[in-house]
Amino acid sequence: MSEMHPVAEADLHAYADGLLDEAGRKRVEAHLAEYPEAARMVADWQAQNDGLRNAFASYATTRPSDLQLVAGAKTASPPRRLAMTAAAVLVFALGGLAGHFGPSLFGKPMARTAIEALPQEARNAYLIYASEVRHPVEVFADQEAHLATWLGKRLAIDDMKVPNLQALGFKLVGGRLLPVADKPGAMFMYENETGQRITVLVGRNEDNRETSFRFASADNVETFYWIDGALGYAVTGDIPRNLLQQIAEECYRQFPT
Amino acid sequence: MSPSPDQPQKPEDSRREGIAFPPLSFDAQILALLPQLRRYSRSLTRSDAESEDLLQDCVEKALVNRAQWRGANIRAWAYRIMTNLHLNARRAIARRPSVGIEAAEGIASNTPPADPLERNRLVRALEDLPNDARAVLMLVTVEGHSYQEVADIMDIPLGTVMSRLSRARQMLRQKLQEENVIQLRSPR
Repeated sequence: MSEMHPVAEADLHAYADGLLDEAGRKRVEAHLAEYPEAARMVADWQAQNDGLRNAFASYATTRPSDLQLVAGAKTASPPRRLAMTAAAVLVFALGGLAGHFGPSLFGKPMARTAIEALPQEARNAYLIYASEVRHPVEVFADQEAHLATWLGKRLAIDDMKVPNLQALGFKLVGGRLLPVADKPGAMFMYENETGQRITVLVGRNEDNRETSFRFASADNVETFYWIDGALGYAVTGDIPRNLLQQIAEECYRQFPT
Repeated sequence: MSPSPDQPQKPEDSRREGIAFPPLSFDAQILALLPQLRRYSRSLTRSDAESEDLLQDCVEKALVNRAQWRGANIRAWAYRIMTNLHLNARRAIARRPSVGIEAAEGIASNTPPADPLERNRLVRALEDLPNDARAVLMLVTVEGHSYQEVADIMDIPLGTVMSRLSRARQMLRQKLQEENVIQLRSPR
């Protein structure tokens, strides 16, 4: 406590709030060691902080009515696009919590549709093909252009793009045609340098009207999936959720909408 | 099973700087902020109903005044709207009694559940705080803003932030010590 700066009350607050750097903390701690009354006060403040955070933490949550709260308020913003982005924001913003919210993001259970089948099919495709050593895909990445044209044709997508995930450390392995909800679907597989794989599934269902962004998880295999018009997308992998989330965000960005 | 080594490398990899979701509409950004705004709202008010009212007013005001938002730090801007609404409006004239904090449904919170008695005692002690001091305390502790951010949100000098924070903490401490004649037993 022989430093040139005396400890001011503001320093004690900053200490209690964890806003000091290492040197500042040491300085305050030295001060508190000398002044037990100040130490008791700061300890009480810290207990208040914990208590307050604890008391209100559970309110930081989404509600089924959130979308209406914003979209319903007014304005002629294109509702479908908003709902889409909104749903995406909800899932992605919540990140780690998504697993708890995903299944009932909007409160009401939907009729069993392709949207429900999608994560299951994505998971199955991942489990079957990602573990395949010699033939994980039909067309390898060296024929990426062909892969895109071919699968685009089968799914009736004019400008099918194969997402580029290299910036996230995942290189394209290749892709294959497979049934998704009884229709031709596309699967792309990626691999990082440690050999971890993720799959991206694209399916078509003309009956889709819903707009939805969701998350599903089972036995460490996690899936982010979303519906955009007649197309459904799912990103599946056994990697940390926040990384998978980044990949899903990147795919969402790269797929034409 | 590995891709052939001569796979063409995409030259434009460097175009991406970090990961960000596609540019979000204003509405979508507000939507993404709702959970934390809901928490802040509840921390300022006395009941769930009052809190939802404040949240609703805040969202409406943000949407109506979207033109005022200059494209930077929408979070601070939204906190500012809510703080002003709460401090300016005489919404609590009737001084409705406070309602104990209930854990919202189905929420996964990392914080261990506190003794509800302790929690409500703390929340009741908040009632005695002046609204402005309470807002400062909540912005700092629950919402995690720096002192300078709080000064910006409330449009007050940094020194005023510190004096309000100090007052809030001392009042809470005193109140809790007075009540603490019988020490409640913590379950932990």
